[in-house]
Amino acid sequence: MGKRHQQQNNPKTGRKNDPGKFDFLKLGTPFAVLSTIVVLASLVLIATKGFNYGIDFAGGTEVQVQFNQAVEAGQVRSFTDEMGFNKASVQSFGEHNEYLIRLETIEGETDKETNELLKTLIAKITEGLTNSFASQGATIRRVDSVGPQVGAELKRNGVLAAFYCLLLILVYIGLRFDYKYAPGAVFCLFHDSIVTLGIFSLFGREVNVQTMAAILTIIGYSLNDTIINFDRIRENEGLFRDEKFPWIVNRAVNDVLSRTILTSLTTMLAVGAMYFIGEGVIQDFAFTMGIGIIVGTYSSIYVANPLVIFMDGILNKKATA
Amino acid sequence: MESIKARVGIFILSILIGLAWVMPNFINFGDEDWWFSKKKIVYGLDIQGGLHLVMGVDTKGVIVEKTNRLAKSLQGELADKKVGFESVKSQDEDKTRLDVMLKTDADVASLEKYIEEFYPATLQILETDGTKVTLRYYDNVVREYKKQVIDQAIEVIRNRIDEFGVAEPSISAQGDNRILVQLPGIKDAQRAKELINRTARLDFRIVSTEVDPEKLGQMISDAEAAGNYGLGKENMGYSAYVKRLNEDLAGKLPEGTVVVFQKPESAANLEAGKIPYVVSKDTDLGGNELEDAHVRPGEYGEPEVIFSFNPDGRRKFSEITEKNVNKQMAIVLDEVVQSAPVIQGKISTSTARITLGGRNYQETMNEANFIATALRAGALPAALEQLEERTVGPTLGADAINAGKKAGMVGAILVLIFMIIYYRGLGVVANIALCLNVMFLLAILTSLGATLTLPGVAGIALTIGMAVDANIIIFERIKEELRKGAGIQAAIKDGFGNALSAIMDANITTIATSVVLMYYGTGPVRGFAVSLIIGVLTSMFTAIFVCKLIMDIMVNWMKVKKITAV
Repeated sequence: MGKRHQQQNNPKTGRKNDPGKFDFLKLGTPFAVLSTIVVLASLVLIATKGFNYGIDFAGGTEVQVQFNQAVEAGQVRSFTDEMGFNKASVQSFGEHNEYLIRLETIEGETDKETNELLKTLIAKITEGLTNSFASQGATIRRVDSVGPQVGAELKRNGVLAAFYCLLLILVYIGLRFDYKYAPGAVFCLFHDSIVTLGIFSLFGREVNVQTMAAILTIIGYSLNDTIINFDRIRENEGLFRDEKFPWIVNRAVNDVLSRTILTSLTTMLAVGAMYFIGEGVIQDFAFTMGIGIIVGTYSSIYVANPLVIFMDGILNKKATA
Repeated sequence: MESIKARVGIFILSILIGLAWVMPNFINFGDEDWWFSKKKIVYGLDIQGGLHLVMGVDTKGVIVEKTNRLAKSLQGELADKKVGFESVKSQDEDKTRLDVMLKTDADVASLEKYIEEFYPATLQILETDGTKVTLRYYDNVVREYKKQVIDQAIEVIRNRIDEFGVAEPSISAQGDNRILVQLPGIKDAQRAKELINRTARLDFRIVSTEVDPEKLGQMISDAEAAGNYGLGKENMGYSAYVKRLNEDLAGKLPEGTVVVFQKPESAANLEAGKIPYVVSKDTDLGGNELEDAHVRPGEYGEPEVIFSFNPDGRRKFSEITEKNVNKQMAIVLDEVVQSAPVIQGKISTSTARITLGGRNYQETMNEANFIATALRAGALPAALEQLEERTVGPTLGADAINAGKKAGMVGAILVLIFMIIYYRGLGVVANIALCLNVMFLLAILTSLGATLTLPGVAGIALTIGMAVDANIIIFERIKEELRKGAGIQAAIKDGFGNALSAIMDANITTIATSVVLMYYGTGPVRGFAVSLIIGVLTSMFTAIFVCKLIMDIMVNWMKVKKITAV
């Protein structure tokens, strides 16, 4: 970004009532339509296609196996069929001849029974793998098993966490700013989480405890953006008393624009490094964060601001009536 | 203007403290005493590999059982007091309420009086309907009892994990019916699970007085030296060690006796300062005949352990105590001596007491609680069920941590380069702050003894990306002020001042969401939330305090006239 370019474009160098270089709100309506469509599409996707829940939430058993020699996914699949695991999913993992075999939850009458069933299942599949693939040198790298009760509880906790986060944010912004700002911020967060979950559903990416952490972080990140924007709107409200509210909002977006771009860039640098160098959990995490940064930056401009303007309109009408 | 000197003082002090905590992660201080902290960041299971188990404890069943026992003892007590009753039964679905059917209204009154007198804080009269009185335990009694059950289950599991000599096993209660067991570095998952799932074995054994303690110590060290083995040596677990030792000592010990060990109170595992006891080979009395054990104040208010046997156990206990007056009776849980009180005389009542002499009240109380827990653990009333199991291959962990570390470093370097290119002089200031930020973050994580998990590593990497946010907000503000034509000093002052409220609001909400995450999250997510919260705090310190200080020094002391940032 050139030095001169920055100087010329900066609102502060122009006249005092310069609304800023870009008229962001001109695109308000088309983007509102776009946002609505994307959110609805995400909701439809979530409702129809659903999520690929990890075993954290769905319960079940995951076995990660590595072979010394090349083994086709088909061979592993026919092994699971032979063993009688009908609904097993086999997924290749990494580049080193590794496979992730996932088996359904089994539930006995009692906890004790479930436990026994699980134990036999794990013994059966690990032994089966080492025996059937003895010549290919199978090594069991990891066995994860989550009982159905724990899965349900983790899911419930995830939803509760999201709910309490939103509630806290609503109250904080209401108190710290003004109640005309709070709905904008919270809607923004709904928008971000629904769109991110929609993307998860679309690509069939696994939703697990870590994903929840990432989504909550996105909420935090997007909120950062939104709040810094709001803070500027509030400040500009005091500075430009003669201007209309939408003008003030547009000016605020322009004022913080360079910060928005720079911060998104630096965070993207860190997240990009995690995505391209990290693996497993870290990579998934980076993927979610990457989506979150894009969606969050967009929403703090095009979802939060129009709503604040809308709320301001309603409140003013009431005040003058 | 606040004194720069004072701030430099705080700054230097914080760096020194930070360095002191961080250093052990990079330099091995070994046994040297002069360095005050040897704590290192603990890597989570996902990083170093190991076994993660969630055990369910059937606390509900235990309460039902306790209620049933109460029904029985109430029947006896009411009969003793000549209160006329038809039946005492648990009625509701959960079996945690007792319906007492009485004969006359007078009996109802005497029952109510009896409860008030003898169970004032334990039993609650729910309702009186004619001659039917419904009772239940107070909620806090139930809660307390559930906690006891969890504590004793933890005690049992801890005892067994000592077998592995795991350096840092983590065993903790989760909610009121779960126990989380994490065994880093365990490779033999199957054996670990078998050990943990084994039923607790408690027995009472008479301590032999024929062997002189000093001679016994000598015999043990001779045997160890001759066979070149020892507890913990070459991963020798407790049971293997005791077995080997007793094979070597056979013939040297009195007929029908073996050596077992006690763990001193202060020791984390059996290896440290174990105390040998020579006890009879056969079990004199088993824990399966024990009914209950609890701590109660004795005649002079001193804590006593009261325990009771079933009728069969009572008969055996009375015989043993009669024959062995003034000898020690070892209470042995899973072949480990928990305590060895001296038998004062024949005990033939339904309950027996262990009196603990001397020392201060708190110590005695602790020991009494410990013995009672061990006794109850032997008769572990709750079934342990394994609900969740994860084994993480250590090689996978090693790959993953290296990739994570590399990702973090590359991310940080990219951000550093970007800041220098974009902000020049100010970028250098921001980079100093960023490096300090990482150091403070690691220092605080180390001092808290936090466990670093992979999401935690991701949290740190993310903090690095976002840490510069505060700097960017401030710098953009300073640039605005400079463009307006403000002098350098005023620009810095207003830049920081104007940016502060935005930074605070944004960070407070981030912390708020992280706190929620920490509360509802499990293991790794919690680690992530902790890293994020600490990261936000340290980045605020470095961005606001440290940056401002460096810039004030530049302007006031070094007389810098121009900031090359625009």
